[in-house]
Amino acid sequence: MNRTARIFHEGRDVWVDVSPDGESLLLPNGARVAADSAHWLPPVNPGASVYALGLNYADHNKELGFSAKQATPLIFLKGGNAFVGHKGATARAADANQMHPECELVAVIGRPARNVREADALDYVAGYTVANDYAIREYLENYLRPNVRVKNRDATTALGPWIVAASDVPDPQALGLSTRVNGVEVQHGSTADMILSVGGLIEYLSSFLTLMPGDMILTGTPHGVHFCSAGDEVVTEIAGIGRLVNRLVEP
Amino acid sequence: MSIPGTIYGVVLNDAQERASLGDALSADPYKAPPQAPVVYIKPRLCATLGGAPVPLPRGEDRLRAAATLGLLLASDACRVSPDGAMGHVGGACLALDVAVPFASYYRPPIAQIARDGFLPLGSMGAPILPDEIVTEVDGEAVHRWSLSRLVRGPAQLISDLSQFMTLRAGDLLLIGLPGDAPLVGQGQTVHVRATSLAPIATRIEAEAA
Repeated sequence: MNRTARIFHEGRDVWVDVSPDGESLLLPNGARVAADSAHWLPPVNPGASVYALGLNYADHNKELGFSAKQATPLIFLKGGNAFVGHKGATARAADANQMHPECELVAVIGRPARNVREADALDYVAGYTVANDYAIREYLENYLRPNVRVKNRDATTALGPWIVAASDVPDPQALGLSTRVNGVEVQHGSTADMILSVGGLIEYLSSFLTLMPGDMILTGTPHGVHFCSAGDEVVTEIAGIGRLVNRLVEP
Repeated sequence: MSIPGTIYGVVLNDAQERASLGDALSADPYKAPPQAPVVYIKPRLCATLGGAPVPLPRGEDRLRAAATLGLLLASDACRVSPDGAMGHVGGACLALDVAVPFASYYRPPIAQIARDGFLPLGSMGAPILPDEIVTEVDGEAVHRWSLSRLVRGPAQLISDLSQFMTLRAGDLLLIGLPGDAPLVGQGQTVHVRATSLAPIATRIEAEAA
């Protein structure tokens, strides 16, 4: 299995290969770092465009009181301030009583994609990672919703731990997702229930813009809204991709 | 040109537009006027420099051409006061924020705003706040607006945003769009100018097949 990660090492950020057993990280110069002691960075290059889906699982839409399928896909972008790596910390504001994690499959684009058909779209995917894209429901406003005060706060989009090569993910629409808060499962689903598949999302986005290498698509989250507290450990996991750990802290 | 960070913009920051919308902002689907700044993000491939043409998508007749000012952050702005906000700005440029016209601010209009080439930029210069930004279409001044129309001026906008999200060094912030921006069509030239800032000169051309 080919996995790449981005870490902070000896004064700079660097992309590394993850060993097959996941125990060590191989630097470009051949040196190794123990995965346990790595300082993980979100596996996204600065400047990448990162697209995120709202309401892309029918069961989650019902839970939130929306129709199962949106007439137009609900897509918003994320700023570079929002990302945080594996084992990172996310501030939970004192008044954010309705802050909940969202486990999402992330597709990483591998080559420029414009006017790509769904049937060919997975050829444009370099790999996949895991996101925990927190939302804070009491900050919702009905303007360009979900508005940035909900979805673009500093370090509220955890990404990682690594990117798994697309060649090691035979079917991105058959992956189990789960979220555990302090060890208790609060969210459970399958990418089989996505309304627009990874390929469908690439077809839609590339019908009006060019997706570039390194760009990402966060593909939405299944049902299971669970409000969290500072001090919680939140683990989002996608089978065959990875297990992303985040902890919520006082601001 | 590539902007190293994220390109942010705000809508509903034009007091004149807010007044014209009036009670609509309290009706469905909005239910209440906006409290926080209303922010959109443009992907990196929107930005162009040097007069690259703006592509008119197939099936569209007109594009909204909204002239504004872009502020380039030189240092991270996190929870800054209005007094300190402009100290984080290292450069300014004119910007022409292009969109396929859209009617609602309820959902992010990504297919309308997030297209390649939909943000021609002027060359970056010193952080100057012009009094007035003028848009010329085919040589005729068809629109002019003053930053005094902004609900939140640049310093207040940066301060308010920075209370919940860090504007980082390398980010570009478009400070607001005029609600009465002109519509332009295929073959038209668009110039944007303001005192002491490098102008923009571009043209609307049919999207390549």
